[in-house]
Amino acid sequence: MEKQETQRANRMIELETMPQFDMAMKRVYAWFENEIIDRPPIRFIAHNAFLEAATEDIALLSREQKKQWWFNSELQVDLFIKSIQGRRFHGETFPVYFPNLGPDVYAAFYGAELEFGEVTSYSIPFVRQWEDADQLIFNTNNEYFKKIEVLTQHALERCEGKFLVGYTDLHPGLDCVAAWRDPLQLCYDLYDHPDQVRRLADRAFEDFEFIYDHFDAMLKEKGQLSVSWMGIPSFGRMHIPSCDFSALISQDFFNEFGLPILQQETKTMTHNIFHVDGQGVSKHLEAILSVPDIHALQWVQGVGDDYPIMQWTAFIKEMQAKGMPVIVDLSVEDLNDFMDTMEPKGLFLWLATDNEQEELDILKQIEKWT
Amino acid sequence: MEQYLELISRAVVEGDQDSTVVNVQAALDANVDAINILQKGLIPAMSEVGRLFEGGEYFVPEMLISARAMKAGLNIIKPLLAGADIKPAGKVALGTVKGDLHDIGKNLVGIMLEGAGFAIYDLGTDVSPEKFIEAIKTNEVDLIGLSALLTTTMPMMENTIKAITNAGLRSQVKIIIGGAPITQEYADKIGADGFAPDASQATKLAIDLIGQ
Repeated sequence: MEKQETQRANRMIELETMPQFDMAMKRVYAWFENEIIDRPPIRFIAHNAFLEAATEDIALLSREQKKQWWFNSELQVDLFIKSIQGRRFHGETFPVYFPNLGPDVYAAFYGAELEFGEVTSYSIPFVRQWEDADQLIFNTNNEYFKKIEVLTQHALERCEGKFLVGYTDLHPGLDCVAAWRDPLQLCYDLYDHPDQVRRLADRAFEDFEFIYDHFDAMLKEKGQLSVSWMGIPSFGRMHIPSCDFSALISQDFFNEFGLPILQQETKTMTHNIFHVDGQGVSKHLEAILSVPDIHALQWVQGVGDDYPIMQWTAFIKEMQAKGMPVIVDLSVEDLNDFMDTMEPKGLFLWLATDNEQEELDILKQIEKWT
Repeated sequence: MEQYLELISRAVVEGDQDSTVVNVQAALDANVDAINILQKGLIPAMSEVGRLFEGGEYFVPEMLISARAMKAGLNIIKPLLAGADIKPAGKVALGTVKGDLHDIGKNLVGIMLEGAGFAIYDLGTDVSPEKFIEAIKTNEVDLIGLSALLTTTMPMMENTIKAITNAGLRSQVKIIIGGAPITQEYADKIGADGFAPDASQATKLAIDLIGQ
């Protein structure tokens, strides 16, 4: 059935910006299966490229103006289109627009407020008293939910032949509870009010499938694939489970409060790529890998002392030995050493590059990697 | 006395606020000096919590409940310390730099420093260089702690240090920095006095730099 899906979708997707789309999808699907066709998939990234296309200095805007800027659907899609204008996408770099109001937007769907910054937004804790939890109600008229719908719709009207449209970043687990409660307060709650934490965690998952299905249906109706901020599409249902909050807590607490949600949220998906947000989250890998529906990991090597990638090669080899596909974020400077040290099987490389020629040169280089 | 201090210390390390309060009160009733309770019971307990955190045995929730227990004990002896000419280990102004609204790391550093006997002026998030300067002038702080989580807001640390220097206040304060993208190399580059990767090590650094 999956093959039929692949064939059907292949006929539908044609991107002038990415002529090698079909082959790229085949490499991605081989990677999902921990296989390799001719070379490992590779994605060239430019973080926040669309923000660089902005003509105004967002930092100078007032709080309300910042929200208006993020809420301006026409502007947001325009900026994305401007950021990809004249570009050709190489390797497995899919041109993807996903509606983005920040990582806590899922928490905001239930009534929490977001405060917008230059590159992301921050949730304002909503549950100050336990009674406040009764006010956490998801409804489709929520302003953030409506805005994500509008952004999605607007992008769908303008994407034809140019880019894919994805769905927004959805965090139904402890990250959502932390957004509602404040992360440090949630740390106290784990000891002081574990039942309330469970209650909030249940609430945070209650409508996840409805929300996911809603946006999935919007995309599929227009012949889109399933893709989000990672830019790795699936012909089925792609999801990026994560739990950044888990970096703060013990394995016991993660197993008790985080793992049950992870097990549920991954169940109905075709492909789940768990976002391992650095070494703080990696201490929970044993539990994460115990979830049978996790198909791959994204290892975020991080910045600061977590850099460079070469200090994590033993960990990545361990994942390869387990047959777990891994996305590896590395810098161009580390590529030679990395290729000398590692086998390519199971790896999906992400590299930040400066120009097209550099991307073409890197592609030639990794074609020889065996 | 040792027995009481041991019980206090254990209660703090275990994050048991009620036991801390009971044992501090019991120690006072048994005429144990408030200064001893602070310096030989509460503060060493938080040092132990820091050690457990660095060793991966404790995590943020454990650190927080221990700090809370410590504070509950401290609140009981505070009135008794007032007349004892006990000065804080140092005065520290903390803030997340302008443009950055993340506060978990900064708050943890504040909690741990407080546990180590420092007086804390928490300036919050999105703090402009001018506010740091004002804090130095108004509160005569000895140490500034700058936090940033984003690579895009890191440069504001350098701007803040430059602004403090230009205001002629650099020699009055030590400046330490921290946050996910920060390294010792970056601290050296921008002229900070130190970098710490977590709250426990930030406390050690503060003690090394200005501890009295």
